Amino acid sequence: MLEIRNLHASVEGKEILRGVNLTIGDGEVHVLMGPNGSGKSTLSHVLVGNPKYTVTEGTVQFNGKDLLALAPEDRSHEGIFMSFQAPIEIPGVSMTNFMRAAVNAKRKYFGLEPVGASDFLKLLREKRQLVGLDAHFMSRGVNEGFSGGERKRNEIFQMAVLEPTFSILDETDSGLDVDALRIVAEGFNKLRTERTSAMVITHYQRMLDYLKPDFVHVLMGGRIVKSGDASLGYAIEERGFDWIKDEIKE
Amino acid sequence: MTAVKQYLQLYDQHREMLDKHSCAPMNARRAHAAAWLEEHGLPDTRTEQYKYTDANAAFAPDYGLNLRRVLPAKNPYETFRCHVPNLSTLVYYVVNDVVCPPSATLRLPDGVRVLPLCEMVRENADFIDEYYHRAAAQSTDDVTALNTLLAQDGWVVHISKGVHLDSPIQIVSVMEGRADLMANRRILVVAEPESDATVLFCHHVSGTCRYLTTEVVEAYVHPGAKLRLYGVEETGAGSQHFCQTYAEVMQGARLETGNIHLHGEMVRHTSHIRLLQPEADARMLAAVVAGDGEHVDHHVLVEHAAEQCTSDMLHKYVLTGKSVSAFAGKVLVQKGAQHTVSQQTNANLCASPEARAYSQPMLEIYADDVKCNHGSTTGKLDETALFYMRQRGIAEDEARLLLQHAFVNDVLQRIELTPLRERLAHLVELRFRGELGKCRGCMLCK
Repeated sequence: MLEIRNLHASVEGKEILRGVNLTIGDGEVHVLMGPNGSGKSTLSHVLVGNPKYTVTEGTVQFNGKDLLALAPEDRSHEGIFMSFQAPIEIPGVSMTNFMRAAVNAKRKYFGLEPVGASDFLKLLREKRQLVGLDAHFMSRGVNEGFSGGERKRNEIFQMAVLEPTFSILDETDSGLDVDALRIVAEGFNKLRTERTSAMVITHYQRMLDYLKPDFVHVLMGGRIVKSGDASLGYAIEERGFDWIKDEIKE
Repeated sequence: MTAVKQYLQLYDQHREMLDKHSCAPMNARRAHAAAWLEEHGLPDTRTEQYKYTDANAAFAPDYGLNLRRVLPAKNPYETFRCHVPNLSTLVYYVVNDVVCPPSATLRLPDGVRVLPLCEMVRENADFIDEYYHRAAAQSTDDVTALNTLLAQDGWVVHISKGVHLDSPIQIVSVMEGRADLMANRRILVVAEPESDATVLFCHHVSGTCRYLTTEVVEAYVHPGAKLRLYGVEETGAGSQHFCQTYAEVMQGARLETGNIHLHGEMVRHTSHIRLLQPEADARMLAAVVAGDGEHVDHHVLVEHAAEQCTSDMLHKYVLTGKSVSAFAGKVLVQKGAQHTVSQQTNANLCASPEARAYSQPMLEIYADDVKCNHGSTTGKLDETALFYMRQRGIAEDEARLLLQHAFVNDVLQRIELTPLRERLAHLVELRFRGELGKCRGCMLCK
């Protein structure tokens, strides 16, 4: 599904990614761990095409397409979704209008007519229930006055509506209480299929418990320095990152 | 300040004709206006109140005037459709500055009158004597003086005591001509005690000529009455529009004004709203979408002259292309106007690097127990929001449009009447999508 080769990227002239290699297959969940500032968020933003980040070297293939050549909106249509670490507030644009614009843009991309009003409302209702978002959120501005937990649930709700094949969860668990984390993780799990994959950035064991990832990678200094299965995640939770740093030195 | 000369000359040479095609109360005010203009001329950008709008330059070209009151060639009721409707309104037309009475079949509810000013004089001269140029006379605005010098007619809207009018009265002004033209109109709105009404002004142009329009609106909101005055500017290139609004709001009465700018080369609005008795309330809204080459200047003064009055001003401007907006809003709290509560907010969104927004929020307070807030912000489109939307698949242009629409939408959401609010919000959306052809509904120019 996704093949990242020797990816270098910088922000405001500062190189953050220094040769990332990563292959993610269909149906796989990969967890990305690493100390603060190691480049996890940068990698996420580069994959979704945030114009603030500049790719200086390397390639990314997504289902055989040159991902880096696509505009952010086209990457979205092709099936890439990112749950933002800090979801953005858009006062005045109601959730309903926002989601309608997103759904119809995708339909247009695939040559389909705009979604009918009643089908659309049905879709919203169904997906809201997945993460327990009340109906009144739909008439509010996007993330306007939402609590931290509501914002994260809203991200998973949007993911549910857009049905991406590859999702990036950038610290979706941060700032959530135990119950909210469960709702978000369970919501995510319900959306998993054999054809959907994910890259999840987290610092917490609890997320590993819920997601049961296929792979765990450690990103340091802009490169993936160690990969393993879920047990690597638990080892980090227990011992921190220093032992990996020592390993690299050796 | 030379532009005024041609108008004073015109007045000297054609005074008889001006008077003959007008009515006594209007004619009675001309000499004073002429003396005022003789002394003050028309303002240019050296005048503080016109710092960003050079009225002198706008009035300098040689425009034609229709002093003989020649009627329009075509009946606007048959040839023109303003697209705010679909909303049931009581429609009245002004073509240039000629008021066009509707067919006899338009029946108004009891207690509501909409008449040409000169006709109202014949019907009830005392009424016009009482209200014509009373609120406007408080002004030192030179463009108002020019309007008083040259205006020959207009519409009078009168809502009797206790009458609640469900459908808005819609006054559609159209500029049309074969040569560059100037028009001067008056509007008088009187809401008697405990009445409730909405008047919607729609401004259009047709054809390719240049037009200069002055308009003086006087509104009197008697105790306990509710009056809403909304203006929709949908003119376009070649249109220079000066609109002056003067209002007196009495005990427990409420006036809401709304200014919606969709298209128009140059628009200057001057408002002076006076809260003259306790518990009077004024709400002033503006939602402006200024396109490339457009200039929108709002100069608003709200005067708290009595105790326990409230006012709330919300002016928002979206500026695209090379456009300019100027906002000067002043809340004046007179001595003794204790327990005033007022809020003034101006926000500007410069959606292009060439756009310029000037903002001057002002408070002038002579009472010591008041609550007055004001604030102004000017910024660009939020790039992080833009990216967030693109990540969700919304194309960049569409995302920009949604953000701009959202920016002014909270102004529109404050409009009290639901059908009108929805209609105006829809119009603004069409404007953003570029689907609002300048003068689309107009059949005059086809």
